[in-house]
Amino acid sequence: MNRTRNKVSLILNYFLLALIASAMFLPFFWLVSASLQTYEEIISIPLTWLPSSPQWSNYWEVLTSPNVKLGLYFKNSFIVSTVITASVLLTSSMAGYALAKLRFPGRDLFFTFTLSTMMFPTFIFLIPVYYILRRFPFLGGNNFLGQGGSGALSSHAGLILPFVVSAWGIFLMRQFMMTIPDDFVDAARIDGASEFRIFTTIIAPLVKPAFVTLGIFQFIGSWNSFLWPLIVTTSAQHLMTLPVGLRMMVTAYSTTTVQNRLFAATVLGIIPTIVIFLALQRHYVKGITLSGIK
Amino acid sequence: MSGLPSESSRRRSVQRTVTGYLFLSPAIVFYLIFLIIPVGMSVYISFRKWNMLVPLSSSTFIGLKNYQDLFRDELFLCAVKNTLIWAIGTVFLGMLIALVIALLILNIRWAPFWRFLVFAPVVTPLVAVARIWGSGIYKTSGGMLNSILAMWQLPPQHWLADSRIALFSIMSVAIWASIGSTVIVFTAGLKGIPDEYYQAAKIDGASPWHEFRHVTLPLLRPTILFLSVTGLIGAWQAFDLVFQMGAGGTQSGVSAVKAIILLNVYLYQTAFQNLRMGRATAGAFVLFLIILCFTFVVLRVLREGGVESYE
Repeated sequence: MNRTRNKVSLILNYFLLALIASAMFLPFFWLVSASLQTYEEIISIPLTWLPSSPQWSNYWEVLTSPNVKLGLYFKNSFIVSTVITASVLLTSSMAGYALAKLRFPGRDLFFTFTLSTMMFPTFIFLIPVYYILRRFPFLGGNNFLGQGGSGALSSHAGLILPFVVSAWGIFLMRQFMMTIPDDFVDAARIDGASEFRIFTTIIAPLVKPAFVTLGIFQFIGSWNSFLWPLIVTTSAQHLMTLPVGLRMMVTAYSTTTVQNRLFAATVLGIIPTIVIFLALQRHYVKGITLSGIK
Repeated sequence: MSGLPSESSRRRSVQRTVTGYLFLSPAIVFYLIFLIIPVGMSVYISFRKWNMLVPLSSSTFIGLKNYQDLFRDELFLCAVKNTLIWAIGTVFLGMLIALVIALLILNIRWAPFWRFLVFAPVVTPLVAVARIWGSGIYKTSGGMLNSILAMWQLPPQHWLADSRIALFSIMSVAIWASIGSTVIVFTAGLKGIPDEYYQAAKIDGASPWHEFRHVTLPLLRPTILFLSVTGLIGAWQAFDLVFQMGAGGTQSGVSAVKAIILLNVYLYQTAFQNLRMGRATAGAFVLFLIILCFTFVVLRVLREGGVESYE
């Protein structure tokens, strides 16, 4: 009897696994397939699973179309995500070092504050931040009072500045640096090394894995971010990032006979983050578990 | 023994404080410009009538009217209701499914492959996710789900246009898109449970269900607490999917918008389409209050009788 029950639970296991696998995989498979189909195949009933002959021209058309500036969207996304990631790594590791390895009054208050900011809804500061950036003096044609132009909102700065510090990044770096024994730091201090030297020559090399983890997280997060770029690029189309650009293509294309191009563009838009994740999967997973356990 | 050591140690402590704040200075400047001053401004804006087109100083004071208007606005009340359903549904149902998946793939061969499979949607831009589901799976004529229904001779459904099911359709997408990270946190939590507990349970002759109920679940409590708190904070502010699959969509009528609108979508529309900055910031404070209350309640409920009480 025990054996039959084992068999039943084994079959149930495999059934559930097959269900999960298809639920996760089929949507992606369909997207790639749709990106290679003709318009007739896309609108056919029932659904076409495999194109009769793959239409690679869909990709070519979307890449060379004068209406869709896919190259520009990629470039903007790349610039914005790279600069945000670099600055988050710098600011988070600096703050993390102070919180983990230095003792001074106000430190714990700062840490509590940082944690509590994660609860703030975006819209509590979004409107004033938009206003402040538009009124940034000397930028985007503004005078010193911040009048006359569109301030930081007319350049990449508008997409970057509100994200150069990340509470989650500070938290992650602090947690990581807490695991480094104080002895390392104290020994260097006795040798007369400055805190800045200790930070750059001892701590930074030791937390390399944290840099990689936070870096991937931040890059993918910024790459996929939508709400803020949507708001900023409504009045500055030359700054459109990939998600916003794709979104614009959806409204322009989804009911037309060239909607297969839309699917090709969507596939292209997925590739960068999937590749990064595939290449650095281990670090990404570590970042999640690190933040989740402690 | 002179006063010298204490003198130099005080100097060192002053120096250390200065160094500490130097390391924190980028974050402090950032918090000041992009957080503290803006939140202060938001409080101010929430009592005023302002459209962003004129300088803030020339807005007019209208007292609590923005808050009163919010609660008279049916769309806002719908948004609050939908957001509650959305957050609780996606977070707790998502956790349940994620726990099942985590248990299934815990000791499986090719674990990295399975991990990649459930995780791929997490790194996919939500625009793409919305496209896949909107034009592939939920499409009314020839979509994946309706093709399956047709095989069973069942009538096709308007997954995104039918106001009775639209919210749940999009919630399913949200669960699909975020379940990967929940699975991984659960996997880590499960791996952290010492083997001795299971051996002890085996010796006591516990059934798999008993083992799960009395060993696994209580020891996962910190993981569940973490996932609930962070998951809810994110879910209250969901925007991308609903904006792209419904409220910002082209063919949805008014009743459909009421059925799916979420708070952040409402705030976006109020601020950047209707230019009612005062009302939008007032709404943000209501959202903040909701987040605070729920975080507090979850912490209270899940901390009580935690792991400690089983030891």
